[in-house]
Amino acid sequence: MADELTPQVPPDQPRIGVDEWVASVEGKRERYRGPVGWLRRGWDTAPAGARLLAFVIPAAIFPLVTTEGNLFRYGLITLLYALLGLGLNVTVGFAGLLDLGYIAFFGFGAYTYGYVASVHTGHHWPAVPAILLAIAVAALIGFIVGFPSRRLVGDYLAIVTLFFGQAFVVFVNNGDRINFWPFNRTDLTGGANGLDNIDPLKLFGWTVNTTKEYYWFTLGAFLLVIILLYLVSESRTGRAWKALREDPLAAEVMSMPVNRLKLMAFVFGAAIAGFAGAIYGSVQTGAFPGDFDVGLLITIYAIVILGGAGSLAGVIVGALVVNGVPELLRDPNQAEWVFYTALVLLVLTKVRPWQKLVTVVGGTLALGFALVAIADAWFPRWTAGEPNTGKLAHWVSHWMLLPSHATQIANWAYALTIALILVLTLLRGWWRTIVMIPTIYVGAFAWENLLVEQTVGATRFLLLGALLVVLMNARPQGLFGTARVEIV
Amino acid sequence: MAATQPLLALRGVSKSFGGLTVISDLDLHVDEGEIVSVIGPNGAGKTTLFNIITGVYRPDEGEILLEEQSIVGLDPHQVTNRGVARTFQTLRLFLNMSVRENVMAVQYGRTKSSPFEAMLRLPRARREEREIRQRAEEKLSFFGQRLVGYRWDQPAYSLSYANRRRLEIARAMATEPRILLLDEPAAGMNPAETQEITELIGKLREEGRYTILVIEHDMHVVEGISDRVVALDHGVKIAEGSFDAVATDPRVIEAYLGLRKAETK
Amino acid sequence: MNWSLFWDLTVSGLTLGSVYALIALGYTMVYGILKLLNFAHGDVYMIGAFMGWFALHWLGGPVNPSATAWLVVVLMFLFAMVACGGLGVAIERFAYRPLRNAPRIAPLISALGVSFFLQNSALLLFGASFRDYDTFHLIGAKTYNYKDIFLSVPQLLTIVSAIGLMIGLTLLVARTKIGKAMRATSFDREAASMMGIDVDRVIASTFFIGSALAGAAGVMFALVFGQIYHFMGFLAGLKGFTAAVIGGIGSIPGAMLGGLLVGLAESYATGYLPQGSTFQNLYVFALLILIILIRPSGLLGKADVKKV
Repeated sequence: MADELTPQVPPDQPRIGVDEWVASVEGKRERYRGPVGWLRRGWDTAPAGARLLAFVIPAAIFPLVTTEGNLFRYGLITLLYALLGLGLNVTVGFAGLLDLGYIAFFGFGAYTYGYVASVHTGHHWPAVPAILLAIAVAALIGFIVGFPSRRLVGDYLAIVTLFFGQAFVVFVNNGDRINFWPFNRTDLTGGANGLDNIDPLKLFGWTVNTTKEYYWFTLGAFLLVIILLYLVSESRTGRAWKALREDPLAAEVMSMPVNRLKLMAFVFGAAIAGFAGAIYGSVQTGAFPGDFDVGLLITIYAIVILGGAGSLAGVIVGALVVNGVPELLRDPNQAEWVFYTALVLLVLTKVRPWQKLVTVVGGTLALGFALVAIADAWFPRWTAGEPNTGKLAHWVSHWMLLPSHATQIANWAYALTIALILVLTLLRGWWRTIVMIPTIYVGAFAWENLLVEQTVGATRFLLLGALLVVLMNARPQGLFGTARVEIV
Repeated sequence: MAATQPLLALRGVSKSFGGLTVISDLDLHVDEGEIVSVIGPNGAGKTTLFNIITGVYRPDEGEILLEEQSIVGLDPHQVTNRGVARTFQTLRLFLNMSVRENVMAVQYGRTKSSPFEAMLRLPRARREEREIRQRAEEKLSFFGQRLVGYRWDQPAYSLSYANRRRLEIARAMATEPRILLLDEPAAGMNPAETQEITELIGKLREEGRYTILVIEHDMHVVEGISDRVVALDHGVKIAEGSFDAVATDPRVIEAYLGLRKAETK
Repeated sequence: MNWSLFWDLTVSGLTLGSVYALIALGYTMVYGILKLLNFAHGDVYMIGAFMGWFALHWLGGPVNPSATAWLVVVLMFLFAMVACGGLGVAIERFAYRPLRNAPRIAPLISALGVSFFLQNSALLLFGASFRDYDTFHLIGAKTYNYKDIFLSVPQLLTIVSAIGLMIGLTLLVARTKIGKAMRATSFDREAASMMGIDVDRVIASTFFIGSALAGAAGVMFALVFGQIYHFMGFLAGLKGFTAAVIGGIGSIPGAMLGGLLVGLAESYATGYLPQGSTFQNLYVFALLILIILIRPSGLLGKADVKKV
């Protein structure tokens, strides 16, 4: 047995016929040693049930040890995002169909639920039929939107679905004053103000009211969906989806009805999004057009891509990171800690060998203190600004220039940071090390004087955008994926 | 010993792309248990022939009969379900799926359980899943030492070129075809591997009981396996018969060596 | 029939259409050469509008510009085009080039990331409020007319300069060496590189030209409609792409035709279809779906022959 398990070709021989790009990416994975490698191998060999427990146990403990507010922000929203991610993972991750209108299905779920169970419309359906209807409507819309996917490939599908997502937002924004046949003066969506006063979930005599109860309910829903999806992914349908993603033509010739499989992937993804939408509607007791915009689409894509398209575990980790980190950034004090911890970790793990590490750390610190000293002596305006709140920000102010009226300067610093980071990717060797010093400093300058103030809005989203670009360049298969997704 | 009913028969099949005739008025038949080779220079329409048989292209004219039933106009997956499986000259494996999954995935058409049955783990889904796995391992075992167990869970892209070709054949076998279409199974292989492929094709018939239609450039392979050889040039059948007869046919030599060109000069 | 309304809609449709056509050209050129749907293109257009605004204000602002209005407008165009061209080249260099041999979804998602990054960078740097070109002060409110057809100066400027740019582009692609290299590269990149064409340079030039055209489109839009904001690139990009698809993606005359069609369709929808001013985008979307389903290769596109 042992003999059989060792490859007959020594690993240092060139592997003929290996897809180069895949091999180079795969090579990065092979390199993990030490605790990371150990964890990775352990994870890869663990049975599915054990992997699920690794998520369920912390998820079940979490509400017992945290506050209501944190449970909502870190727990409930992460779960909802993860649930949405699961659906997108079917269409994009499994079947390889780039669906950019995905959020509309989520919206259809929320609005359908709101339509049949809210004060706004006066209907008060119980939760079970209301949720089932939301799922059915979303699935039906998924079927209709998926229909062109029979003929459209790759990019065309992407643009049609993106347009559809946008059309949905236009529709709900104006759905309160549709006034032509056959909808004379109907109010379907509440328009720009949305559907408010949506009923809480009532299931078999249990009214889901508090955040904690919603958390439990959503956790249950999430577990149900992930288990069912796992079973599907390990069935003939799941394998056919993956085959379709890899090579649609080969799949078709190899007995798989590609068109039907595409539609099924759309319908499954949409149904899950509709389910998530119904829960979301009742969680925030309303459905508002602004919630279903491109921002959420990018967020969910970031989750699926970061976790690794096609990987169910990846969705959980992706949701934790993509929702958790920006939430941490919300509080300026925490944001400082997050930023500098991330910066230090990045430098510590990525800069090798130690000579370069010492140069970068020493150089950056020296540069900062020198600049502050010079500014103190001759250019007082450059240190006249107020440090941000929190202990860390106070320490940082000894090292960082904080000009008064910094907006203009900070804008240029932001542009300069981007330029420097781009230049950095082109440099190698010691030049890279040397340029890294001003890059870090200017980046931190832009952070202190500009980015930290916008963490709720722009900063959060531009970081997500940058994350997608960096991920695609550095690790396109995400954290857990081994798959590269091919769309032809 | 031609049977009265050929397994696969093409009658007067023509196909052209925008004025360029690729196959013209082609008659071809393959009997049960036979190995027929299609030879011809590049651009002779060999791969197009496969694409027409498997339903990727629709012929402009003519009939294609599988066991006396027309398969013209069916989608490729329906053709496969009727019992025609193929490999690709350019190799089209599902590269990111494991070797085993590659062979499991193509049994989609042979199985019936819906995703809902899979979700609820109903008996039919479980039984089919077991069968799919068994059959996949059985087909892979056919290749003996070349695709041994430890490779089964590796992704297909980690396989060598020759092994990718073997996996393509295993994948085609797993659809349980009546007839296997092999598109240049020895392309890009070294002499030892070519020899192995020749033996493998023989073994496919002897042990696997497959009927095989094969496109091949390598004359050693063609000589080693064929019951009958069909030569195509510019979409027209120019010779048919035993290997020796076809290989010495003046028109075949002309097509390959461009004698016609030499004469007109 | 109310002819005056019809002509108004036609003129505004042609103006919009010129803008869309210029955006569509960038999509179509990049698609032709890289087979990449450059989602960030709409945001390059938005950046172009902002660059024009900055140029305007560096030159003294609309109320008392430091040069004659015509010169200011020309400088605004030039600055926006050069800045956007540079931005396009940078995007290609850093977000797409490393992914050129990657699976096709990778650059698509990278493009999505770039788009989002640009949008939110603009939000961060320029703020969420609208900015105004104040064309009224810069150029005045003069209009030309021929019977019922009224054209304002910015509209005339937009249509004429768009036609000029398209002619220039057509000549560039048809006549010059780089144009030839572009056509060769879009036909077969590998073969082109073997024939001694510096493919990287050709692709960079394509991005430069396409993005410069988007920048010009941004300034045009702002001159006609006045207001610009960070999110304006999204819908315009979508419609530009729609135009490219309708015309036949990869085809340069197709992009021009498609742009005009989308502009006119949107304009007529606004005027003639029920609740058109609210649902115009839905109508354009319906048109896109219709065209794609009836003629997937677009009006002037060639059908792809798939090689097996």
